[in-house]
Amino acid sequence: MNQHIPAFRSRRDFLRLAGGGFGSLALAALAAEADARSGPSAETNPFLPKQPHFKAKAKSVIFLFMEGGPSHIDLFDPKPELTRMHGKPLPASFGKVITPMGTGGNSLLASKRKFKKHGQSGLDFSDWVPHMAKCADDFAVLRACQADGLNHVGSVCQMNTGSILAGRPSLGSWALYGLGTENQNLPGFVVFTEGGGQPFGGARNWGTGYMPATYQGTLFRDGPNPILNLNTPADVGDDRQKAKLDLVGKLNDIHRRERSDDTRLDARQNAYELAFKMQSSAPEAVDLSKESEKVKEAYGLNRKETADFGHRCLLARRLVERGVRFVQIYCGAGSQWDAHSDIEGNHGRLCTRADKPTAALINDLKARGMLDDTLVIWGGEFGRTPMSEGTTGRDHNPYGFSMLMAGGGVKGGMVHGTTDEFGLYGVENRVHVHDFHATILHLLGFDHERLTFFHNGRDERLTDVSGRVAQEILL
Amino acid sequence: MRFLSRFSAIAVLVVFALAPVATADDVLPNWAYDLGARPAVPQVRDAKARIDNPIDRFVLARLESKGIKPAREADRRTLIRRVYFDLIGLPPTPEQVEVFVNDKSPVAYEKVVDELLASPRFGERMAEWWLDVTRYAETDGFNSDFVRPNAWRYRDWVIKSFNQDKPYDRFVKEQLAGDELFPADPEAIVGTGFLRHFPDEYNAVNLEQRRQEILNDIADTTSATFLGLTLGCAKCHDHKYDPILQYDYYRFQSFFAGMWPVEAPIATAKQKAAYDKALAAWEAKTADVRAAIEKIESPYRSRAQIKQRGRFPDEYATLLDIPAEKLSPLERQLQVMIGKQIEGAGADVTKSLKPDEKKQREELEKQLAELTKEKPKPLPLAMAMTDLPTPPPTKLLKRGNWRFPDKEEIVPGFLSAIDDTDAVVKATGQTPGRRAALANWIASEKNPLTARVIANRLWQHHFDRGIVATAGDFGVTGDRPTHPELLDWLAYELTDPTIRTEEGEQPPKWSLKHLHRLMVTSATYRQSAQGDAESAKADPDNQLLWRFPGRRLDGESLRDAMLAVSGRLNLKAGGPSVYPEIPAGLKGAGSPWTVTADAKERDRRSVYVFVKRNLRYPLFTLFDAPDRNETCSRRYATTTAPQALTLLNDPLILSFAKAFATRVIKEAGNDSAKIIDRAYLLALGRHPTSEERDILLGYLKDHTGSTSDAVVDLCHALMNLNEFLYVD
Repeated sequence: MNQHIPAFRSRRDFLRLAGGGFGSLALAALAAEADARSGPSAETNPFLPKQPHFKAKAKSVIFLFMEGGPSHIDLFDPKPELTRMHGKPLPASFGKVITPMGTGGNSLLASKRKFKKHGQSGLDFSDWVPHMAKCADDFAVLRACQADGLNHVGSVCQMNTGSILAGRPSLGSWALYGLGTENQNLPGFVVFTEGGGQPFGGARNWGTGYMPATYQGTLFRDGPNPILNLNTPADVGDDRQKAKLDLVGKLNDIHRRERSDDTRLDARQNAYELAFKMQSSAPEAVDLSKESEKVKEAYGLNRKETADFGHRCLLARRLVERGVRFVQIYCGAGSQWDAHSDIEGNHGRLCTRADKPTAALINDLKARGMLDDTLVIWGGEFGRTPMSEGTTGRDHNPYGFSMLMAGGGVKGGMVHGTTDEFGLYGVENRVHVHDFHATILHLLGFDHERLTFFHNGRDERLTDVSGRVAQEILL
Repeated sequence: MRFLSRFSAIAVLVVFALAPVATADDVLPNWAYDLGARPAVPQVRDAKARIDNPIDRFVLARLESKGIKPAREADRRTLIRRVYFDLIGLPPTPEQVEVFVNDKSPVAYEKVVDELLASPRFGERMAEWWLDVTRYAETDGFNSDFVRPNAWRYRDWVIKSFNQDKPYDRFVKEQLAGDELFPADPEAIVGTGFLRHFPDEYNAVNLEQRRQEILNDIADTTSATFLGLTLGCAKCHDHKYDPILQYDYYRFQSFFAGMWPVEAPIATAKQKAAYDKALAAWEAKTADVRAAIEKIESPYRSRAQIKQRGRFPDEYATLLDIPAEKLSPLERQLQVMIGKQIEGAGADVTKSLKPDEKKQREELEKQLAELTKEKPKPLPLAMAMTDLPTPPPTKLLKRGNWRFPDKEEIVPGFLSAIDDTDAVVKATGQTPGRRAALANWIASEKNPLTARVIANRLWQHHFDRGIVATAGDFGVTGDRPTHPELLDWLAYELTDPTIRTEEGEQPPKWSLKHLHRLMVTSATYRQSAQGDAESAKADPDNQLLWRFPGRRLDGESLRDAMLAVSGRLNLKAGGPSVYPEIPAGLKGAGSPWTVTADAKERDRRSVYVFVKRNLRYPLFTLFDAPDRNETCSRRYATTTAPQALTLLNDPLILSFAKAFATRVIKEAGNDSAKIIDRAYLLALGRHPTSEERDILLGYLKDHTGSTSDAVVDLCHALMNLNEFLYVD
């Protein structure tokens, strides 16, 4: 009975994965070791840290997801030609442009933002993100990102899972599947939402698709008890709960006497023990009382606009510090960056929310010596069009948009890729979502072509059948 | 059609020359594409071995060849619990256990099996995995996740089909082409709901991409469901070693190219005519009032619709201005897609009306309501599929991309490794008959896959792992069968039964209940879940079934079991789905989860819980229910800390524990020993051992809270035991 071991569907899959030929993992040796030890902890815990294919630059990832699609041409990719051509249509050479709201033929809308070059590297940032601009030398700006979907739910899904269709494992799940996690008393993949909404597509964005649910992200909630059902109900109380758990343990021990070879039963008893440990370790991880006022202030906890996102950024740092593998924060959850109208008002508000905490996170990680092995990602599911929607908004643009990376083995202070003169299409050094994912996996120590999971007759990959590592941005 | 016989005729000969019993290692990679002759039932050496039917000979022959001894027979309490959960997904009551334990009849067990197979609960249990395979859901998925109000009729159709033991070939045909093959049977069209459960981005702008994704889903799900083949791999290009070609993929997909989704009335022609007449009369009578309402609403509606129309590229939007008869079949499909979005945009304009218009409209609505008493009751509708009279051409898509079709038109045909002919398609009434041709090909005794794939699914249900462990993948990338001859024999037993029932009756062809009965009455099935250490050493994965593979309850059965034990289970069958409580603060995007007001309705069986793609019922997901975005042939059984946290702390689970405790006290009184005994019988179907009783007496005695708190905690603990979650 191996099938309950969440890492591999069957012994045969395990062997084919471990044995090479079909995309073998370097974790073969380690998995085999686990197999040989065959103690309950090794066999029943898929989260033990594992070695990737090669030495990783990044141990952890913090993905700040600006949901709804921030406008790259108002933030990181200045377009003087767009300003010049304001009010005119795209040149005929662009042909027909498909957008979800049918704005392809609309006139161009200049950015009202002021851009300046920042840091020693002279990276462009607009006046909407003054704090992030100060971290210019830490960021690599990928300016020619591309995605396949036009609508939010498919594009958010693709940025997370590689496919615009539901059903595939998320980036964080792949990280957990490949690497395990360092802290066995906390979930290895944690998700936060900010702004009161739900990310479009919901839990599938941190789900495991065809992989066992073991690797899914855990949504942390507000307040001292971040995990659903974490705490003993007040009317039961700790003493009663403990006595009840002891009783379950004793009766399970008797039950197990005749079933000593059934590792599933050990695993379940372990799960209760882990649950019990989480009851103390999770509240500790989210308790900010030991953080200095200075740190809290830097993250913007003292201001209404930045408090929510700042709080989560600070929690992300605390979780990574405690060995959590992957943290994702949805800023403006429920597609709040989706400025089909009034981009000035919409982005003005959201940038205020996102800017200071993002910079604080980078600075804090750096000060603690953690930025070198923590990859920070900033961006949404697509960018926005240079054409106007109505008179004040911008439509979705998956054809060319910016994503930012910092730390974790990424060169700071560099721009990679260019869009055309209006910022509509990526033209040089394009980075498709698959390439973006290949790069992230590379930083985590994986050859994206060899990190595979056998499903429905195929060795499935995060990057499907494509993906190229953006070597240019690697340290 | 012509089923080829190329591969395994040779393979089978080789196998028999080498070894008396075929094993997985003897099977060629493309074993599945041809079905050999009906295998002879093997001889076994141990003359005293328990043999209840031929299944046992196949299993024992393999065990003997490896020198492994089967386990002893399970005791009766274990057996009845096992077979109850297995066949109806519920635990036996203490009374049912006692009757069986004390039944001296030599066929006591067979009697239980027959009762369970005849129970209406049987179909509810079996529907669960069939609905996984067919990615059944009641919402669209994607962001809007619109409700599909008629989807549940397919769920009820599946339950009813299993309960009636509808012949499997008929079951297949109704799902693929019920409209074409059985036009006189109003129920048959409900089966075509199978073709409608694709996730759908209703508000997509790119209509051709949306259409192609739907077709991909239908082709992939159909092949996985009935043929156990993962066709999707061939979407983009041919693969070395895999006999399924890209050409085959589009040949197969072309069966569905003319898709025409409809909400079809479930009614006879006569009923439909009567309804249409009554409706026409009502419409005539209310024409003025409705026209007056329309006059008020129409400007607002047009405005909303014009805006909506502007979202689409011109080549799609202009389709709206062309009469259907002037459109190509593809354009007609796209026109409907865009048309529904435009209609939807102006459906409710009440919010935009000016106050005086609103008042006027209310007045008219009142008049209409008065007249609406005479409106005929709408006919029940099925979410169904039919076809355009002429399907759009199918072309091979380079790299699977709808933007890059090949030049040549592809006609419907089968998988060339099995049958390389083109399909013979005869139009049936209004539709081209393509799906009927496919249905007849799949639901044929000669198809080498169909019977084996379903026999294997039943085997997986009863023995936790299929004879082919990859139940949805019989192709070269799937696992090889552990008992290839047994699988073939079961397939023949399905299409051409030889084993008579206890009553000496000849089972009908394609009877799934016949296979269920053979499997669960075999000695293999009746083995204990505990075997000896030597067998464990020789076959640690229990591939050869030297013991019964115990398993963890899935989320649905777990909930049903807790409801049953606590006495709250509402066994009402069928009808629209219910929305039980979900943890506070949880909401999926799109259509809301509005908890059903009637508490009794919330306690209905899990199969009747609403299936929302963006928010699967959390307890089910927690215990590995798939998200129903694609076909799922086998669930995982994970073990996680959040499962433990939920079972310990979730208010819903605690409410089950409280109900359970109340029931126990009511039935057992205040005596601690009696309470413990009753709770054990209800939860685990047995009396506690003296060791357990002592522990529990001590627990109740030392408990710091009130007596009722102590019993609640005890009952809660029992529902957290491994013995409650794992069935031996």
